[in-house]
Amino acid sequence: MTYRETVRVLDPIGLHARPAGQIVKAVRDSGLEVQVASESGQVVSALSALRMLAMKVKTGETIEVLVENAEDSAAEALVAQIQEFLKG
Amino acid sequence: MALAESTILQGLGVGLRSAVGEVWRVFPQAKLPAWTKTQTNKDAATAALRSAIAAVAADLDTLGARAGGESVEIFDALKVLLEDEELFAVASSNLDEGWRPAAAFGMAVNTFAELLEGDSAFAERVADLQDLSKRVQANLAGISMTLDLPQTGNIVLVGDDFSPADTAQFTAAVVGVVTINGGPTSHTSIICRSRSIPAVVSVAGANELQNGQQVLVDPVGDRVVVSGTVSDSTSAIEFVALSDEPIIPVRSNIGTLTDARAAAKTGADGVGLFRTELLYLNEKKPPSIEQQTAAFVEILNAAPSGPVVVRTIDAGGDKPVPFLPMSAEENPSLGVRGYRLIHEHRWFIEDQLKALEAARVASGRDVWVMAPMISSVPEAKEFCDLARSIGQFKVGIMVETPSISVLVADLKSIVDFISIGTNDLSQYLFAADRMNPGHGKLLTPWQPGLIRTLALIAAAGKTAGIPVGVCGESASDPLFAVVLAGLGVTAVSASPSQVDVVRTALSSVNLEQAKMVADRALSATSPEAAKENALNALAE
Repeated sequence: MTYRETVRVLDPIGLHARPAGQIVKAVRDSGLEVQVASESGQVVSALSALRMLAMKVKTGETIEVLVENAEDSAAEALVAQIQEFLKG
Repeated sequence: MALAESTILQGLGVGLRSAVGEVWRVFPQAKLPAWTKTQTNKDAATAALRSAIAAVAADLDTLGARAGGESVEIFDALKVLLEDEELFAVASSNLDEGWRPAAAFGMAVNTFAELLEGDSAFAERVADLQDLSKRVQANLAGISMTLDLPQTGNIVLVGDDFSPADTAQFTAAVVGVVTINGGPTSHTSIICRSRSIPAVVSVAGANELQNGQQVLVDPVGDRVVVSGTVSDSTSAIEFVALSDEPIIPVRSNIGTLTDARAAAKTGADGVGLFRTELLYLNEKKPPSIEQQTAAFVEILNAAPSGPVVVRTIDAGGDKPVPFLPMSAEENPSLGVRGYRLIHEHRWFIEDQLKALEAARVASGRDVWVMAPMISSVPEAKEFCDLARSIGQFKVGIMVETPSISVLVADLKSIVDFISIGTNDLSQYLFAADRMNPGHGKLLTPWQPGLIRTLALIAAAGKTAGIPVGVCGESASDPLFAVVLAGLGVTAVSASPSQVDVVRTALSSVNLEQAKMVADRALSATSPEAAKENALNALAE
């Protein structure tokens, strides 16, 4: 089962290196299998900062966080963290 | 060919002390071996690549720990890129094709560099990636990337420019630094200033210096002297105050409550530049008018007595404020910045002015307001009308675009005052990005193109009856402040740490003498000659 949640990128520089690095660390710590999808439908592993950067997500755009086979509460907590990283 | 004794190499000085030491050249590292495709054992190649990446990661940890402070975060961020698993996956598939480990990793980095291309926000990350790529390849080839500096002795490091990874390796033996590139605001300059290491940057002739040669690093004289000794160094000019009051008011630049308190301990005559954007950089949501008023009242109460000149928000693509969404721009310094935010975020500038009016009433202070990045007379009029409709301020504008610098006469009866921001005015006048380390020399305030422009602005202000202040870095240089007063500038504003030295300099001359110094500086056609002329005129 896949848990999906949309997150808006509020950081004024978009999805840049710092939040991407923070996401990688949070996902690694959570032990969950997580992917990130851009508005244009590109899907990449949330364990690769470089793949996430290469999607070139700008301020105001959204990304979709896809968490595989996780308890809803664990997935929600992770998404909340990711939203925090993208507030800039 | 070795340089003759006493040869003088010109550059831009950082610091006030001089130093003598032996030249220690730092060259770009040895050439990396060409990429080849002769690998036959994938498992051994994978292991070699993994261990090289681990070794570079360990180096980054050591460098981060040695540099300490905020650098730890910089090196952590580099590690995230280095250890990216998709980067390794791409490298691994290159290994499958038979490429040797160094080639496989270098090509993988190029793949991602291409994916990130075309977006200025990623330009520095791509440079970081390529630096990591070189480090991994150097490790695989057995080439050392460390500087291996001696722990004792007196050495003067000479190199193109130094990266954070380089400066983190500086030892106690480094008594001076000379760079061929890099300007007064480069990483090297900032580190040398904070560690009090005398440095001269932007020294084009430094390439000729050879290991072991003795040199004098003479930042006050903006030069390096081959075989020079400490007795050859230019002494910082000593100004002796002859009167109690400077010939023009010296105000202070502030951005925070701490700055306001520091400024109050100096002889500053009020505040010449209060940079408001620093109050917002950590706010996720727009602060309410009440919150802003409270912050302004606190700062106004702490500020040194005299007028307080407040600049409305000066944010943009290069100085983002979290709660004001701004799109990424190709050339942020030419984009939506400063007053130009009025188009999309008018409410915010109005809120600021309302909060400032409430704070003015509550504190009883003499508050002046000015807008940054004004480039036309109608823009100036629009801002002044808006500010006067909201509060009882003296109202003015910053002069930092070349377009408004030639229109000062037409600001008569529109503005109450103008203030020149010399940092941005230089950047736009010389079409030289302040962030580009190669432009250091174009951006010194002693450039004749800048001095003559300042003279025109001051003269136009005088004719139109508009007071002309200067609040850029240049006003923090005591000698240049004398030139500014002589050009007809009516007030200067310096950083709190420089207020008293600038005050002393402006109390050591009368207006007549300052005019003579300015005239001599104006006659020069090179920055070196302008500074030398000013110094000579002062000595007469």
